[in-house]
Amino acid sequence: MDNIISESLLRPKWRKVAYGGMQPGFDDNHTDESFLEDMVMNASVVKRDLLKVMQDSVSISQYLCIVTLVSLVWARTLQSTLDENSLLLLDASLFGSGFLVLLLTKEMRSLNLLFHYILNISFFTTGLYMLAPIYHPLTRSISSDSIWAVTVTLVMLHLFLHDYSGSTIKAPVALKNPSLTSCVSLNASVVASVFIASRLPSRLHVFAIMLFSLQVFLFAPFVTYCIKKFSFRLHLMFSFGLMAVTLALIYTLHHLLFMLLLGLLVFISVVCPCWLIRIQEYKFEINGPWDEAKLCFNVTD
Amino acid sequence: MADQKHRILMVSDFFFPNFGGVESHIYYLSQCLLKLGHKVVVMTHAYGNRSGVRYMTGGLKVYYVPWRPFLMQNTLPTVYGTLPIVRTILVREKISLVHGHQAFSTLCHEALMHARTMGYKVVFTDHSLYGFADIGSIHMNKVLQFTLADVSQAICVSHTSKENTVLRSGLPPEKVFMIPNAVDTAMFKPAPERLGNDEIIIVVISRLVYRKGADLLVEVIPEICHLYPNVRFIVGGDGPKRVRLEEMREKHSLQDRVEMLGSVPHAHVRSVLISGHIFLNSSLTEAFCIAILEAASCGLLTVSTRVGGVPEVLPEDMIVLAEPDPSDMVRATGKAISLLPNIDPQQMHNRMKKLYNWHDVAKRTEIVYDRALKCPDQNLLERLSRYLSCGSWAGKIFCFVMIIDFLLWRLLQLWQPTEEIEEVPEFTLPHHQDEEIISNFNKDHSLG
Repeated sequence: MDNIISESLLRPKWRKVAYGGMQPGFDDNHTDESFLEDMVMNASVVKRDLLKVMQDSVSISQYLCIVTLVSLVWARTLQSTLDENSLLLLDASLFGSGFLVLLLTKEMRSLNLLFHYILNISFFTTGLYMLAPIYHPLTRSISSDSIWAVTVTLVMLHLFLHDYSGSTIKAPVALKNPSLTSCVSLNASVVASVFIASRLPSRLHVFAIMLFSLQVFLFAPFVTYCIKKFSFRLHLMFSFGLMAVTLALIYTLHHLLFMLLLGLLVFISVVCPCWLIRIQEYKFEINGPWDEAKLCFNVTD
Repeated sequence: MADQKHRILMVSDFFFPNFGGVESHIYYLSQCLLKLGHKVVVMTHAYGNRSGVRYMTGGLKVYYVPWRPFLMQNTLPTVYGTLPIVRTILVREKISLVHGHQAFSTLCHEALMHARTMGYKVVFTDHSLYGFADIGSIHMNKVLQFTLADVSQAICVSHTSKENTVLRSGLPPEKVFMIPNAVDTAMFKPAPERLGNDEIIIVVISRLVYRKGADLLVEVIPEICHLYPNVRFIVGGDGPKRVRLEEMREKHSLQDRVEMLGSVPHAHVRSVLISGHIFLNSSLTEAFCIAILEAASCGLLTVSTRVGGVPEVLPEDMIVLAEPDPSDMVRATGKAISLLPNIDPQQMHNRMKKLYNWHDVAKRTEIVYDRALKCPDQNLLERLSRYLSCGSWAGKIFCFVMIIDFLLWRLLQLWQPTEEIEEVPEFTLPHHQDEEIISNFNKDHSLG
């Protein structure tokens, strides 16, 4: 008994302290058994469910279909199979249906807000109509091939950077401002539409196609967001309907493109979710005292 | 073995005229190693027109390599660009061991890599903590893994930092030493007269940035001023968050109770510290925190957030720790105010003299150098296998980088053979100019 006490007195316990010089009896590279005991692994890992991930991936497929439809309209207009009158009709019907969806899904239905929206949109349309003569001869000196190449690149950029989690334009309820990437994405789509519009034969064509593209790129994410918030079932039905329509229409345009789109949709909605679930087991998160402390309040700059 | 004299090259992007934890660590460590009879040369990048070779106190030779810093005082990472100059310095100064400092100094990483290629033993000191979650940290950790894959020995400044470095780099823990920073107690003496206790002054000196917890200060200061009418604040330091602090001061009309000094030059830190009773540190992450040592050496009671290595830095009765949360920090400050009558600054200063000493740091570092030099020599193939184990892709890239470096080194040897590089003549200072450090050294020893 005495022996143990004197031994423990002789050899003081190692402490996790930096002061007081080298600890007697221990080298500086001493590794105590308490080493790394404060380390926490995978503390905040969320368990993911395959069905949930697949359902969430539907939003991506849906937006992909929307962009494909826009490209389809572009291609048809450039082939002159779609004339300016039917384009204007398409614009008007899109406006109508978009408003209808907003009116039906939003809680606050006030005549004042509607009037405000209509005023804004009429300004927007007039502005676009006046700018159409400028867009019309914009890329006359550039070859069609380069324009197509740039447009495809821009559309890809748009799809990659698009903010799929919410609406691009700020919904009145949305808290955070759109991020830099979503702004870049929106701008890429607008530039792509301008390039396409500038290849068209008449000013009315230019106006109609610009109005159509901007309507879709600016408001479609917002409208689909409203549908999704209103009812998830409706969102799923709408998305699958959209996918079917897109696949049917693209089949009439080109068979290879049809296969490509079908493959892409399957990849996004089936392969990617399964892949994500599979690689979850490799998730390895380390936390410990070396992490930067998180503030428990919001910092407003 | 103990009296073997080393010739050490310290490499870091961070050195005088900059000021901070790393800079003062390198400076004081070099000074004390010189006192122990080793030869020390420092290599850093050029600061403004300070370029070329300079001598500092005690014959410390500094190479300001003419590479321009491009981001946060770091040189542009060129991987091989520094090989010729590193080689020339190593040969000219007949260096036996290279010691790099700070994980985000590119110059340090490059120099260590070249030194390993040339077969030198290298030691690395990590001065900061890194998480594992964000993209920046992930890349930083990969670079660190590359450098540390082949390092002879590593040093960390606190036990938490050691745990962090071992996790980040995959080094075996016995290769990592814990040697803390220290404080120049001769420079940070308490005020000759004790301050009165009717008005309590809380000092904050830190860069006013997010990582140093400036946002916590914005929440904590008005609360403390409200609870304790006899408290005043002195805030030294500048940074992007200064505007927020000034807004807070206006909003709560505390202009007469919160003094904002702006940036304080290091030479004036003591004079600011000794005008207060309590030092408040609100950092969100900290590997060691020299500022706490300086404050304690000036006899101030410290209130700090419990982050990183801070809990290891001072004995429990010299520091009040709080969670990084405004209400807990207010509680801790209240506790510190109630403890204040029992604190004797002079006594605290004397304790600090025993707890921390740069000469002790130098002696412990010397042991690490001895160990590093005892490590067996390895040829290129043996070393490559270590890099290969760093990761399936990264490992191959690392190997490739090292092979190119090796070839470039051989090419340089052909182009300018080692024998043709002039070696610097030896000279020893006839007498040490700064008697003060030596007298302190002796005094400390008689105390210890």
